[in-house]
Amino acid sequence: MLSYIFMKILEARPRSYDRRMDRFSRGKVARIKEAVVAEIPERAEVLEIGCGTGELAAMLIARGATVTGFDLNPEMIEVAREKIEEEGLGNRFTLGEMGVDGMDLFPSSCFDAVVSTLSFSELSNDERRFTLRHAERVLKPGGLIVIADEVVPRTLLRKLVKACVRIPMLAATYLASGASTRPIADLPVEIEDAGFEVSKEIRSQGDAFALVVGVRKDKE
Amino acid sequence: MNPLKFIWGIFFRLFPCPVPTGLRRIGNPGPDAPVLVTCNFYIAVRRLIRALQGIDLWLLVADSKGVNVWCAAGGDEFNTQSVVSVVKTSGIGELVDHRKLILPPLGAPGIIAKELKDRTGWSVRWGPVRGGDIPQYLRAGQRRSEPMKRVTYNWFERLDTALGALFPFFFLGAAGFFIFSRHLFLDYVLISAMAFLFFMLTCPWLPGKRGLTKAIFLDLILGMVLVLYEVSGIRSTVAIRSDLVIAMIMILLYGTELGGLASTMPSDLDPFLARLGIGAIGNVAFAGSVRTELLNGYRDLTYDRNRCIGCRNCNEVCPQGVWAMDEERHAVLGQREKCTACRACIVQCLSGAIQAECRPHAEGTGICREER
Repeated sequence: MLSYIFMKILEARPRSYDRRMDRFSRGKVARIKEAVVAEIPERAEVLEIGCGTGELAAMLIARGATVTGFDLNPEMIEVAREKIEEEGLGNRFTLGEMGVDGMDLFPSSCFDAVVSTLSFSELSNDERRFTLRHAERVLKPGGLIVIADEVVPRTLLRKLVKACVRIPMLAATYLASGASTRPIADLPVEIEDAGFEVSKEIRSQGDAFALVVGVRKDKE
Repeated sequence: MNPLKFIWGIFFRLFPCPVPTGLRRIGNPGPDAPVLVTCNFYIAVRRLIRALQGIDLWLLVADSKGVNVWCAAGGDEFNTQSVVSVVKTSGIGELVDHRKLILPPLGAPGIIAKELKDRTGWSVRWGPVRGGDIPQYLRAGQRRSEPMKRVTYNWFERLDTALGALFPFFFLGAAGFFIFSRHLFLDYVLISAMAFLFFMLTCPWLPGKRGLTKAIFLDLILGMVLVLYEVSGIRSTVAIRSDLVIAMIMILLYGTELGGLASTMPSDLDPFLARLGIGAIGNVAFAGSVRTELLNGYRDLTYDRNRCIGCRNCNEVCPQGVWAMDEERHAVLGQREKCTACRACIVQCLSGAIQAECRPHAEGTGICREER
């Protein structure tokens, strides 16, 4: 459970990231990505926030999507670029090295979906608000936002269980990589505040992980 | 105040102690109030807010992974991206009618002022080195006096940095004595604390330029005392021999990393470890998540006067006052021996006139002149 905190260690070795991540999470990360892909309509124009090694993007492209992705980690971007080369996805996958602060560079109403897995928990409150605001702007009316990330469980008992599992892992991850993640307190509310209608929320892993789908409201 | 964070921040400074990033209102700031930027290290933000009492301004706390400004900038954790992100996502642009940021000059090794301006439209002013000088700096119409630009290493700063960096090692030693040699536990605690205080408070007057030289000098004196004790034939119930040895070992230990702690000295340990291929030991070794191989890639500056365009950036950001300006408004490498290899001038130089020989281990890290 919750082994995705370890992803911070794995990020230091981008080349084996996908393989190790999958082993560490015992296939959980792959299932998360499959669940995200299942929400996206075929042949959609997708923006991926924190695309990492491009694993999810490749899965989306396999279903006919066109993906624009960005990430702040240059080594991960490098691996993603190699993946594009190898799999010949060049014309379906656009990549950029930037942070969420660059979200304002995209034109309005140009994507069918915005997706992000295991990236939101690395952002500050302001960064999440900014990102969601611009996600709403860049989406076409009726466009989807799909976010899968670590969240704070809703009941006290679950919170305690999570703390017991998380703290030792956090310490180990922290010692090895000097980084950590921050579970999000109220992801659906944040998404609604940005002008979306939350159409689906799936909790898993002891209520500590959420996949949230929001629909951009049609502005009259 | 958060007592846990306070203790952690003071005594365990080798580990990050973060606070949430974002905008803080200090007093009752209006649209023309100054905008100040700092790191998200708990102790730094706390001290800054205390120093700013009674002043109206906007404070942007940018991500430095919970590490202090200088160490985080040196290790590229507090960089252009950190500031760009907080400027754009905090919405500060809608709250003020100017576009001027006051940045901590010790952030200059990480934050590239020109790139920040290009990416956000906000121009950079380097504020005073010490947060405590900010009220005076603002009263003077955002003008810095010469001392405000330079680092010091006074007794408070010596105590502060040394406590923060050495306490975990002291603690480990205490645990070791408690388990393996309990009769010396109290001796260890008292002697190492005394040796440490004595060394930190006297180090500026001890001979030698490097921490190790200073420590060896003190150790020689203690060694002579030890020899005198041995030949004098005095028998004491106090474990004088062990105490002296403990003191000598502790002083040597403090001396090894004095350079890394002292704001006026280059680190000795970082380049040594980097040469061994150790960039960082987790992030236990040096200031939080800082990558040591980035910190001391440079030692010997080269300066090409013909390329200097007189932007004054080097003079503005050098915390040691290495750079002076001549009558033709060109930079002059005045006091090279004071350089602590923080690389602020290299990063801020607009024309590439200031360069540094890259140590082999710094190649490929993207910071060598040839790579830019």
